[in-house]
Amino acid sequence: MITAFELGLIYAIMALGVYLTFRILNFPDLTVDGSFTSGAATAAILITHEVDPFLATAVAFVVGSVAGLITGLLHTKGNINGLLAGILTMIGLYSINLRIMDGANVPLLGQDTVISMMRGFTGVGWTSVAVLAVVALLFKLVMDWYLQTDNGLALRATGDNEQMISSFAVSTDRQKIIGLMLSNGLVGIAGAVVAQHQGFADIGMGIGLILVGLASVIVGQAIFGSRTVIQATLAVILGAVVYRLAIQFALNIGLNPNDMKLMSAVLVVAALLLPQWKGFSKLSLRRKSRSPLAAAAEPATTEDAPLSTTSAEKGV
Amino acid sequence: MLKVDSVSKTFFPHTVNERRALVDVDLELKEGDFVTVIGSNGAGKSTLLNTVAGRIHQDEGVVSLDGVDVSKLKEHQRAAKVGRVFQDPMAGTAPNLSIEENLSLADRRGRPRGLSRGVTKAKRERFAEALKQLELGLEGRLKTKVGLLSGGQRQALSLLMATYSDPRVLLLDEHTAALDPQRAELVTRLTRSVVQDKGLTTLMVTHNMVQALEVGNRLIMMHEGRIILDVGAEKKAQMTSQDLLAEFGKLKGAVVDDKTLLQ
Repeated sequence: MITAFELGLIYAIMALGVYLTFRILNFPDLTVDGSFTSGAATAAILITHEVDPFLATAVAFVVGSVAGLITGLLHTKGNINGLLAGILTMIGLYSINLRIMDGANVPLLGQDTVISMMRGFTGVGWTSVAVLAVVALLFKLVMDWYLQTDNGLALRATGDNEQMISSFAVSTDRQKIIGLMLSNGLVGIAGAVVAQHQGFADIGMGIGLILVGLASVIVGQAIFGSRTVIQATLAVILGAVVYRLAIQFALNIGLNPNDMKLMSAVLVVAALLLPQWKGFSKLSLRRKSRSPLAAAAEPATTEDAPLSTTSAEKGV
Repeated sequence: MLKVDSVSKTFFPHTVNERRALVDVDLELKEGDFVTVIGSNGAGKSTLLNTVAGRIHQDEGVVSLDGVDVSKLKEHQRAAKVGRVFQDPMAGTAPNLSIEENLSLADRRGRPRGLSRGVTKAKRERFAEALKQLELGLEGRLKTKVGLLSGGQRQALSLLMATYSDPRVLLLDEHTAALDPQRAELVTRLTRSVVQDKGLTTLMVTHNMVQALEVGNRLIMMHEGRIILDVGAEKKAQMTSQDLLAEFGKLKGAVVDDKTLLQ
């Protein structure tokens, strides 16, 4: 249970990265499968070479963002379809990750890691969960802040209406690259911390990771809403934790770890299909109407905007 | 100040679908000129606007702004000096961002977008002040997502945003065509007052002959990629839509669509 919470909060950093591309930029970025492992491999190899684990984790951010940069350049300057650009980078990174680790895995037994240092203070228990929760919230707050800045607004507009934002003198190519770099940087950090948590980096640890990220984002936003950025990022973090708890639950009732990928896929499908079911939309409507913001918007929308209902629903 | 110098553009060259959208077009706008552009479908009106905006790059000729050749600049680079309102009311605003966030994006046109806060208290007051001119009550709904607004409201907001940071050139691409008559009237009125107040150099494409005659100080008519009529302020003031229809009638093969005839 404790482990599920811990892992959920670490994976939440990755989920925030996926949220940035998938929801904000509207770009399904498959690079994460590769950049997660790159982050883990880089941090692990640096730690075994006696580099400070915090520094090693920071380097994992840089390596992740370079992966994002490559996908971004392929997509914007090379005019390659976004999905394909991500897949190309991901596949290429597989070989690079093997090179970084000089093998298929790097054990971290007996090394000082960010997790072992944290355990020095907190041990294993709810205190360590609290520390990781604070860390995840810090990442959330930084992202909330960024998305309210001039540059962050330009990034959100790029995902929302490209035609509009380029007519206001913003290079959408540049914003997409920035978004992909930040996103994969966060994924790299998450990979580094996961490796330090489990005590090794492994070439297969990123496989199917995009699904974990999507599951966290979609499940989180379906349960906790996404009316504002602040609410949406919180929902993503909670979604990552809920996802881990669901996995834990599945393991407890007797599924084995090999079933996990199927579990992830089923969970994402369920999260995508359930909102289309009528009974569910009634439930979520009731929740929406309780929000004061929705109430404030109500009179104006009914008055003269038949178009607004569809776009409003899309926005939610 | 805006100069289009022997610009040509052909779509799908050397195919059966070849279409010469612009043929050796010359056009010069002086500071503060408000030019309306009319013409039948496929006359090249929108292509002309897109060529000025940089969305379409011409095959031949030069587009220059303030004496600087901008022909090779991309759309977002030219947009530092060129404001635009599209025909589709959904196109000019970001639906998932609030009204104040949209205005903040417009406010930063042509300036670097760094890590300072997008919407501050001072800016919010400024935005509310500007929104009052629209007389749509939007100043009280700064935090509403733009996607919740009606088409007319969004188009009025698009116009405000496009002109907010005083662009050197304003391009209007049939920006009232998708609105109901009442809202179109409102947006037309707003357009006139903002262009007048700010003395904006404006190029406005329209299908509506009455609008083309009422608004602006110069009118050009296009046909098959050429400018065939260029009327200055004085002559334009005396013209009626009948005169314009007569001009259309002189053209061989010009098809005046029903929508234009009905106006």
